[in-house]
Amino acid sequence: MTHFTKLTTAAALLLGTAGAAWADGHSVSLTPGEEINMVLLPKFLGILVFDQANEGAQEAHAELGNIGELLFVGPTPENSTAGQIEIMTTSATQGQGAVMISNNAGDQIVPSAVAAQAAGTRVVTWDSPIPSGEGEDVFVAQVDFASMGIVMADMAHSILGGAGQMAVLSATPDASNQNAWIAAMEVALEDEKYAGIELVDIVYGDDQAEVSYNRALALVDQYPDLGVIMSPTTVGIQAAAKAMQDEGLCDKVRVSGLGLPSEMVSYTMNGCAPEFALWDFRDLGYLTYYTAYGLASGQMTGEIGETFNAGRMGDFTIEEDPGRPGSSRILMGPFTVYTAENVEAASN
Amino acid sequence: MLSRVPPQTLRILALLLVLFAVLLFFSTQVPNYLNGRLFNRISSSVAIMALIACGQTLVILTRNIDLSIGSTVGFVAFATGSLITNNPDIPPLVLATYSVLLGACFGVVNGLLVAYARIPSIIVTLGTMALFRSALVEYSDAKSITTNNLPTWLVEFPNTQLFTIGTFQFRAAFVVAVLVVFAVHIALTRLRPARKIYAVGSNPEAAEMAGINTKLVVFFTFVLAGALAGLAGFMFLARFGTITVVAGLGFELKSVASAVVGGVNIFGGSGSVIGALIGAILVDLIDMSLVRWQLVSEFWREAVLGSLILLSVAADAILMRRLVKWRVAREKKQTKSGVSS
Amino acid sequence: MSEPVLQLNGISKHFGMTKALSNMSISLLAGEVHAIVGENGAGKSTMIKIMTGIHQPTSGAIKVDGATRVIAGPQAARDAGIAAIYQEPMVFPDLDVAENIFIGDKSSGILTRPAAQRKRARALIERIGIKLDPSRIASGLTLAEQQAVEIARALSQDVRVLIMDEPTASLSAHEAEQLRKIAKTLAGQGVAVVYISHRLEEIFEIADCVTVIRDGSHISTKPIAEVTSDGMIAEMVGREVGNYFAKAASTATDEVIFEVRNLTLDGVFEDISFDLHKGEVLCMAGLVGARRTDVALALFGVTPPTSGTVKYKGQTTHFTTPRDAIEAGIAYVSEDRRKLGLAMPMAIKSNVSLATLNDFLSPLGLLDRAEEDKVAHHFSDRLNIRTPDVETPVGMLSGGNQQKVMLAKWLNLNPELLIFDEPTRGIDIGAKAEVHDLIRTFVAEGGAALVISSDLPEVLAMGDRILVMREGHQMGILDHTEATQKAVMMQATGQMQEAV
Repeated sequence: MTHFTKLTTAAALLLGTAGAAWADGHSVSLTPGEEINMVLLPKFLGILVFDQANEGAQEAHAELGNIGELLFVGPTPENSTAGQIEIMTTSATQGQGAVMISNNAGDQIVPSAVAAQAAGTRVVTWDSPIPSGEGEDVFVAQVDFASMGIVMADMAHSILGGAGQMAVLSATPDASNQNAWIAAMEVALEDEKYAGIELVDIVYGDDQAEVSYNRALALVDQYPDLGVIMSPTTVGIQAAAKAMQDEGLCDKVRVSGLGLPSEMVSYTMNGCAPEFALWDFRDLGYLTYYTAYGLASGQMTGEIGETFNAGRMGDFTIEEDPGRPGSSRILMGPFTVYTAENVEAASN
Repeated sequence: MLSRVPPQTLRILALLLVLFAVLLFFSTQVPNYLNGRLFNRISSSVAIMALIACGQTLVILTRNIDLSIGSTVGFVAFATGSLITNNPDIPPLVLATYSVLLGACFGVVNGLLVAYARIPSIIVTLGTMALFRSALVEYSDAKSITTNNLPTWLVEFPNTQLFTIGTFQFRAAFVVAVLVVFAVHIALTRLRPARKIYAVGSNPEAAEMAGINTKLVVFFTFVLAGALAGLAGFMFLARFGTITVVAGLGFELKSVASAVVGGVNIFGGSGSVIGALIGAILVDLIDMSLVRWQLVSEFWREAVLGSLILLSVAADAILMRRLVKWRVAREKKQTKSGVSS
Repeated sequence: MSEPVLQLNGISKHFGMTKALSNMSISLLAGEVHAIVGENGAGKSTMIKIMTGIHQPTSGAIKVDGATRVIAGPQAARDAGIAAIYQEPMVFPDLDVAENIFIGDKSSGILTRPAAQRKRARALIERIGIKLDPSRIASGLTLAEQQAVEIARALSQDVRVLIMDEPTASLSAHEAEQLRKIAKTLAGQGVAVVYISHRLEEIFEIADCVTVIRDGSHISTKPIAEVTSDGMIAEMVGREVGNYFAKAASTATDEVIFEVRNLTLDGVFEDISFDLHKGEVLCMAGLVGARRTDVALALFGVTPPTSGTVKYKGQTTHFTTPRDAIEAGIAYVSEDRRKLGLAMPMAIKSNVSLATLNDFLSPLGLLDRAEEDKVAHHFSDRLNIRTPDVETPVGMLSGGNQQKVMLAKWLNLNPELLIFDEPTRGIDIGAKAEVHDLIRTFVAEGGAALVISSDLPEVLAMGDRILVMREGHQMGILDHTEATQKAVMMQATGQMQEAV
């Protein structure tokens, strides 16, 4: 529970800054009832967390009484990059007010996003930003990358009892959010507190169950003294936990990272994955919608320093993205660490 | 003795030599490499691909290709998962049969379009690959199948140890896959109707002239490939438990690679499913060993994997040619000595 | 007289506007060898395809044993006991001989029994009267062996009508003789044999009766005793054929253009030596397996020889690729039009320009369509290619016209030395004479030609000199003044050696 408390403190601090801005009297309160057509564009269809984001966006859509339409469209998995670019282009020609995208196309999305902006469509990224920041109005970040790094380091520290070997099982080698989190964790590990933890390897499971499963086992074979596999992806953590359970390795090698409570509950209860973290994707969708609505209706400018009210989630301020100088972000936070004590309740 | 061995068997011998060479090479590069654990890893992981490569081989033998096979595996895995989640009391055999039949249905779609609508298989299956995948996205409604909803027998099935030899564990999934591959092999070599698959791939015109219903044969291989993909989908569900819409993505190309590495002629007519099985093992072995080979960084792994696959295909071809040459030389020698004596 | 096994009654077949067959009638009797002759494009192939169920007639009736029957497809033909073998045999290259023979067999249960199958295969092969190991893979068989496999396959299915379409066109004299013997044997066993051939001497040897067809119509059916060679040819072409077998005047000069000495390719052929003069036609005769094509391919750079020297226009050369040879002005007109010669789905004009695409580039580097058209028309006229236009895909033309397109393709290179491999194989007499004329014209204009041919009358008519090969050895070179069929055959069969 210690981490949980710490996070709450961190969140309180963040909210504190937001609160300070509001105290200056600059917070924009959004006027509901405008007619703005918007598109919510996930990496691809068929993934639970993206559907949760959609639920949050729909909630905000109703709350703001937007008489326009909110479309949830996305490409199929094998066609993610090309499909995202195509949907972005189509949205611009249709004159959509805003496109909210969890970018899976890297900087390849830039030309179509720039064109969309030129056509008057606002481009708000969430979950995964445009690496260069070009063609993007603002990025709604689920979590601060630096604090994400600390949380992962803390979970490893707790599982390993302070000392031992850790390996990372990530998604794809060019996934921008995962790479940023891993980099942040490496920075965090330099702290005195984590001196006993050795990061031995980083491998990639391509966000596919079968590849991740095999990679996790290869890690175990390669490092006989491995204590924890840290997987900052919901597919990877689940596959790694299953692999450890199948091979009866859970008492030696534990799994941690980012996971969905509903998928991880059994592994947390049987000790294969005693701790993992995640933020609420409904909240992310909700906040993203508020941001996009504000920008597209012209009620917000999107400039750095601007503060606005996002309904039930309170006030947020647009700031410069520390990871991508020159680009702006809105930081959501906090996230929850799940253990045997709270995972069952969350999994329902 | 070797002179009596038919060329297909020679090819498999050559493949085994290459497999051995790969093992030897990595054992010098990777610590703790050669042991029972390696066998257990490869055998459990190859069980699914072996079935898919086997189906792909049948299709390739008739000069076709099935690019939708990965999507079929994904869909069947998901559909089977949701069936058992909602009806936990379904007996194992019924559930497996459901998977196989569902896979066969996808095969029927491909088979009808290729054999009877006469659309080239690469176009048909490129289309159905996307179609089946989209159907999965639609059908799944973004839900995932998760392990905790599945009955214990299903989750435990693939890793059940049937028997062990030393530190080599023979697990249910692997044994089932090998049995299926061998059954298909026996059928291909000993069943009269199966001979037609080779005939159609070898010379379609001649097959037509010989009174073979080539359309039916092609249709049938697609249905069989679909059924095998269905069984693979069942195994996939049992092994990974959690099924999302990306399940089986990329299997189509991996299965083609396995078949081709295994000596199946991409232009049809020759090859064996045993070869495809060894091909799948070889591809998997190289892939898995590369992860443990520190010299190769993540970003280069795909490239190295590709090169090693090419290299082993080349090595296999050269070995094969050598063996055939050597055999011919021996035969000549024998006939000569026979004449003189 | 007994009832005909198979009867076509007033069969017509139209492909769109084209009438391939009109009102064709023919009766086939058990135990009879029935020869069918006609120029290429006369409708023979269409008729066979109707008999074997590949095409359905537009009108008319087919009777089997006197009863009208629809032959819906190849399987239905098999069921009626009708089988066909072709000049290019239909075998499965990846299967072995026994499997090839029994591929369509339904009689022996669902399991294959390789040992029993081989035994049955051996019996069938023996019935044909040749030696062949049933466990050999078909891709390694010679054409003659492949045909034997096809005949065995037909026999295994109790064939009652065996159609042999140009079966000897690609066989050596010895093999052809054996095949004719097989045809006779089968007829003796009560099979109705349909025998289609351009080699008229064969027909006189084995046929009981002859049907001549022309332009899709039946011209005559006569017992062989009432037929003469000239009369048959006249009926086929509908006109008097000129000097097909007449020897044209030699245009050979003293200038040696090609000098080959001790050319050897280990294990294939050895010690081939000859001179080829400007204006000369040198024919290479020999039986199949004499390795003539291998010599040609070695000269053309496809499979470079292991030893020996080649001087071309006085210069020692080593062609290691066909490109080298083409650049030096040598062209090779292949025996196998389908495999090596022509792109069947492409238009005539595209085939003609294929080897010389660089000559058709406009200043922008694009293909000059007009120029392509012009050249194609030029050759189409010069070679008398019968086609609606030069856009027609080559695959739609008759064999003789395909051969002319192939010639056009190579003549377009302006070669000085042309190597012809079986230039008239499988084409009709009229087209043969035209091809001969073309070769004659080519050498008269200063070229030199090396012609490989298995057609003895052709060799004697064409060759200024004749080089005879046998099993990779050069048996001798005969001058046309001393060459006779007998002299060439003696050398080709190796009887000379025994005489010496």
